[in-house]
Amino acid sequence: MPGPITIAFDVMGADFGPAELVRGAAHLSLEAPHIHALLVGDRDAIAEALKETRHSGERISVHHASSFVAMEEKPAEALARKPDASIALAAQLVADGEADALVTSGNTGAGILACAQRFKLIPGVRRAALAAVFPTRKPHGENEDPFSLILDVGATVEASPDDLVAFAVMGTAYAKIVSRNPNPTVALLSNGTEPLKGPASVVEAHQKLRALQGLRFVGNVEGVDIPKGTVDVIVCDGFVGNVCLKMLEGVQETVLELAQYAYKSKLRWRAGLAMLSSGIRRLKEVTDWQQYGGAPVLGFDRIFIKAHGRSKARAIANAGKVAAKAAAADLCRAIVEGLPK
Amino acid sequence: MSLPDRIDPRPPRHIYRWDLDKTYLQTEFDTFRQLMRTAFQKATEKVAVPGAAALIRELRSRGDAQLCIISGSPRQMRSVLEQKLRLDGVEWDELVLKDNVRNLLRGRFKALRGQVGYKLPVMLESRAKAPPESDEVLFGDDAEADAFIYSLYADLVAGRVSEAVLRQVLEAAAVYPDDAARIVVSWKKIPTADPVRRIFVYLERLTPPGRFSRYGPRVVPIFNYFQAALVLMADGHLSAPQVIRVAIEMIQTSGYNLLTLSNSFQDLVRRGLPLESVAKSLMQALEGPEALIGAIRPFPDIVSAFTKRLAALGSAPPPPAAVAIDYLGLIEDARPRRVKQHDRFED
Repeated sequence: MPGPITIAFDVMGADFGPAELVRGAAHLSLEAPHIHALLVGDRDAIAEALKETRHSGERISVHHASSFVAMEEKPAEALARKPDASIALAAQLVADGEADALVTSGNTGAGILACAQRFKLIPGVRRAALAAVFPTRKPHGENEDPFSLILDVGATVEASPDDLVAFAVMGTAYAKIVSRNPNPTVALLSNGTEPLKGPASVVEAHQKLRALQGLRFVGNVEGVDIPKGTVDVIVCDGFVGNVCLKMLEGVQETVLELAQYAYKSKLRWRAGLAMLSSGIRRLKEVTDWQQYGGAPVLGFDRIFIKAHGRSKARAIANAGKVAAKAAAADLCRAIVEGLPK
Repeated sequence: MSLPDRIDPRPPRHIYRWDLDKTYLQTEFDTFRQLMRTAFQKATEKVAVPGAAALIRELRSRGDAQLCIISGSPRQMRSVLEQKLRLDGVEWDELVLKDNVRNLLRGRFKALRGQVGYKLPVMLESRAKAPPESDEVLFGDDAEADAFIYSLYADLVAGRVSEAVLRQVLEAAAVYPDDAARIVVSWKKIPTADPVRRIFVYLERLTPPGRFSRYGPRVVPIFNYFQAALVLMADGHLSAPQVIRVAIEMIQTSGYNLLTLSNSFQDLVRRGLPLESVAKSLMQALEGPEALIGAIRPFPDIVSAFTKRLAALGSAPPPPAAVAIDYLGLIEDARPRRVKQHDRFED
């Protein structure tokens, strides 16, 4: 059995309140004996939720936080005003070595800022990147994960060529560990596959990645390749990544709305959808982000997983598992080893 | 003056009543196959719950304690169970097993799995023989009806349950009339006292601890026997070195470590059990002349781990409030459980 891994969960500030996060961590305590959950948040709210949830009291501890950063608050202001906010304390506990990784589904900006204030960037990494998984047609890695990793999706707005190289290395290390993909393919997102297509930063990054050893760089890919799953890791700056991600989410939602419209409109269409129901269910399973846990914020010397604000218990438990896997495999060291010397 | 040729043992001041299956022994009998496997297991194949044997040994070592075991296992298993207890170094005063052959022959099928009609009269009869001033601590599990039966027993002896309520409960729990009569007769023989100090419910099925709050703060659900040892230390039944010895056995034989022990400690504090002084005494014992800290290597940080867990909670939560137990409202708890709970997400 692997050695114990402690995951600090910031249980406050998420859309469904602390109970859902506590339930996720509680489930993890039953399912994964090597994972210990350190729940950071309001002691009474946590105790109330734990009281009614099956869990292992041997694998859960609580760190009281008297305040938290709400979703609508401005991160810098809120963190300055609330030094005892749950995300700040959770990040500090990870920085102090009390926990091996941090999971939050609260305010993303506050999470990144709290970590930036307490963690160090890995030497050779100038900016952290928020990575997201996106469902694809093609499975990836030994786990046959039906998603590819795209980074950065919003931690920064602009990225230099060196930043893009670092993102490629970080994404590769993450895919190797989490998807058990020993040699993941990595590409730059651009407006054409030719090496000279795209803005200057992308063209320069292309040249640098071509020259980098130990990375399976396959060149540039276009937006259409994201859902196709042409490569395992897609690299772009935070502005482009965020626009792409939101657009892809929008398309997904629109397709679902169209299906609902069709279901309501005509009996024949309804019958057709009913006949397709098992396939649709399977599609829903594959594209269900809750089973993939959360999005890693890569580049810090500590593991930080940002779960969706609307995460329910299952997504939180999966985010905890992903965090534990990354911590156990020493993701940060793997990134250091992959960066250009 | 000549010395007496024999020394009578001191009357017990503390009586510890233990269930066996799932409380002391790690037993699986939810399916027919598991039941058969359990029935034919040798003593050496039976496994005690981590820390249970160490805890009993420490409780018994004070000399004024009596161990009464009441098990739902059939009488035919007596020799193998006795052998197992001896292997674990556990000495007992009473070991009562269920006469299921008799139940079968008499066609009393409800009695095969029924707990109230079996355990309650046995406990009351045992109490009738005990010194009135002796106190009791009861150990059961969450797999069956222990919290219900033990609480009812405690409140019956203390005179907090009326005969009318008792009769209603026995009827609702489908207790056979002769067992019900035996319960009432035994109960009436017992001088009224309030001997039951604690009821420990070992969470073999990991039932949420909050489910037992309906039984009041006397019932303490525990995830392991280190937790029981901590509470018993706070209650004055064990000393700090004894608690540490229970922990050592759990570390050395069952893979417990600094994290699991300190988390277990904090779990109790979160539930409002006043353990601050226990933590201090444990730290003194660890660092004291006996230097027990050496025995729990490689975990020398246990002192700071406990301190951190206490500090992490901020102020200590208030103790749980006392409640009047509504036995008729809780009657479902008295019925045998059939299905083991599974973990599912309800998104």
